[in-house]
Amino acid sequence: MKHAFLSSTALLVAFATPALAVDKAEVLDTYADIAAAKYGDSLTTAQTLQAAVNALVANPSAEALQAAKDAWLAARVPYQQTEVYRFGNPIVDDWEGKVNAWPLDEGLIDYVDASYGGPSDENELAALNVIANPTFTLSGVDIDATTITPALLEETLQEADGIEANVATGYHAIEFLLWGQDLNGHGKGAGTRAWTDYAGGDLCTNDNCDRRAEYLVAATDLLISDLEWMSAQWADGGSARAELTSNADAGLAAILTGMGSLSYGEVAGERMRLGVMLNDPEEEHSCFADNTHNDHYYDGLGVQNIYLGEYIRVDGTLVSGPSLSDLVSETDAALDAEMQNKLSATMMSLGRIKTAAEAGFAYDQMLERGNEAGESLIMGGVNGFIDQTRSIERVVTALNLDQIAFEGSDSLDDPEAVFQ
Amino acid sequence: MKHLSLSFAIMVAPMMCLAETPNALITDIVDGHILPRFVALSDSTQALSDAAQADCDPTSDTLRAAYGTAFDAWVSASHLRFGPTETDDRAFALAFWPDSRGATPRALSALLSKQDPIATSAQDYAEVSIAARGFYALEFLLYDEVLMAAGNPGYHCQLTQTISADIASTSQGILDDWQTTYAFIMQNPSPDGVYRSDTEVLQEMFKSLSTGLQFTSETRLGRPLGTFDRPRPTRAEVRRSGRSSAHVILSLQSLQDLASRLVDDALSAKLSDQFERPLSRLFDLEDPTFASVSEPQTRIKIEIIQQSVEAIRTLVRDELGPTLGVAAGFNSLDGD
Repeated sequence: MKHAFLSSTALLVAFATPALAVDKAEVLDTYADIAAAKYGDSLTTAQTLQAAVNALVANPSAEALQAAKDAWLAARVPYQQTEVYRFGNPIVDDWEGKVNAWPLDEGLIDYVDASYGGPSDENELAALNVIANPTFTLSGVDIDATTITPALLEETLQEADGIEANVATGYHAIEFLLWGQDLNGHGKGAGTRAWTDYAGGDLCTNDNCDRRAEYLVAATDLLISDLEWMSAQWADGGSARAELTSNADAGLAAILTGMGSLSYGEVAGERMRLGVMLNDPEEEHSCFADNTHNDHYYDGLGVQNIYLGEYIRVDGTLVSGPSLSDLVSETDAALDAEMQNKLSATMMSLGRIKTAAEAGFAYDQMLERGNEAGESLIMGGVNGFIDQTRSIERVVTALNLDQIAFEGSDSLDDPEAVFQ
Repeated sequence: MKHLSLSFAIMVAPMMCLAETPNALITDIVDGHILPRFVALSDSTQALSDAAQADCDPTSDTLRAAYGTAFDAWVSASHLRFGPTETDDRAFALAFWPDSRGATPRALSALLSKQDPIATSAQDYAEVSIAARGFYALEFLLYDEVLMAAGNPGYHCQLTQTISADIASTSQGILDDWQTTYAFIMQNPSPDGVYRSDTEVLQEMFKSLSTGLQFTSETRLGRPLGTFDRPRPTRAEVRRSGRSSAHVILSLQSLQDLASRLVDDALSAKLSDQFERPLSRLFDLEDPTFASVSEPQTRIKIEIIQQSVEAIRTLVRDELGPTLGVAAGFNSLDGD
């Protein structure tokens, strides 16, 4: 017990804290309301994508393909802002892989360039090409894929052979079907799939246009049903909302766990820093569409707007309410200011990546070996995320949540376990 | 229950603080645990670089022995992922693993086939992808059947020497930072500093312990285990050099040393007992690469080893953390 005095100090501080005017339950309500708005916006923008995909398949043309791409890009704006709901909410974690799994071995789905290679040590199915093969064998079982349905994608192909890179569903599978592989290496430019990959009769390029269309429609339909399900979980009476609000402190810990885990381990680490350190354009989060700068930007924005309790919907309206920021401010105003400043600094860094990319300095170029400007831009974002995570840890401590946060779903499922 | 244990803490706290302040504890860990490990890493990687200069043949006994000694030193320090190891991505440059997309063999093949001139200088080589740097890349050059013989022999030799020199230089950089600034930073927290209080320093140390245990359990053991229906023996860490089981042993021994410095007397015996379980089983296992994960009878032994490491994690989280007044915080394994 040599350091027990630390706990007793914490306890004295806890006793000395005055009754708070900001109600924890109201903070949780705001968080849940924003979740409902974000997933609702993700759904409506995905429905717009669905209409565009159906139009492309019915009447293939360059314009129709471009309209579908535009709709996909718009749909990513609200969805990326929901990623902050991962890691703290088990219901989101259990579901998320279906809609946003990444990275993927796209050769599972469709034709790829010869440079892609064949089956790898890690993944025997890396070049399966379901669109070209109506029947095939998977882990010794004969699969009938003559009709490509949402059920086939979800139940048979997704994570086939237990390999996470076998991504058959979600935004990135759709992205690949709209853009195709980005074969520009570190150069500018996204994938250049021709609209004729969906054309009928003799105009059809790269074969199997009907099956490709069938796959695209099935994957989009599945995305819609998955988003409908998640939106319902956050509506009044939904199970994600109920779980969040069943224990106020565990709910607050869930918010902070999501903010910290997304910032540090996921975006700063897995998605941004690793790409720079590997100099690998395949490490782009949206490598087919070249939309990675926006993925990072809206992830960061999601963390910030959860803390501030303010979200601008896709129709421009504001959803807001009592926030974590209000709660921290009452406990430790200086810490609240520190947290807000760190979040703003991260957004400034992510904004620099976004504006540079939009002005023509592609994210692939930033990743190239020896590109110091690119490395410095990306590391600015990484350092912002890492730095804000330290303040998130301080917020956890200031709110006396440190024995229930950090351990993810294990302890959130059973907050008392850690005190036993 | 929570209130009972906390009031007990208040009663005993005043007596115990006199016995040892956190600052003495921090000094003990910096001087007794951290610095010796980075001195050993710096010395042994310099010896590795010298050995590669003297004889770059992948089958050279002296080179392979020097490689093994230096890699042992890294594994024993590999849980200390903060400060000087984070600067300039040094820990990543020494140790890029797991490599689920095969980036290391791909990057090395590209260098070898192009005879990329960047390998002529260890200084320039610091720009290269981390997949082609560090101990795990060197393992492919020394032990992989294809890559140990790939490319022009002269270039292969130079690449081996450059990667070894780069490892030594990175390790020296870590030690320099520890000796010149970071040891002081950890022992002198300040409101404007990296650490604002002793508690934040202790949290960093506690985080190293808990993250190290997590990595050994989930990655070093979990990757080859896969699932019962789909074991993955080829995913075992450094199986080509037959070091997989040794890495688990080395990491547990090092984590045990750190844990023993953090615990109080009440927990000490319990923790020591908990570490003994996986260690003694690993010594008995005699399966250096965990190849037997595919055989039900031996697979269960490795599963039990993993469960006993999980038991240490639970003890550390639920009993050591509250005693120290800290929690693990966020770590790089939080993503998916």
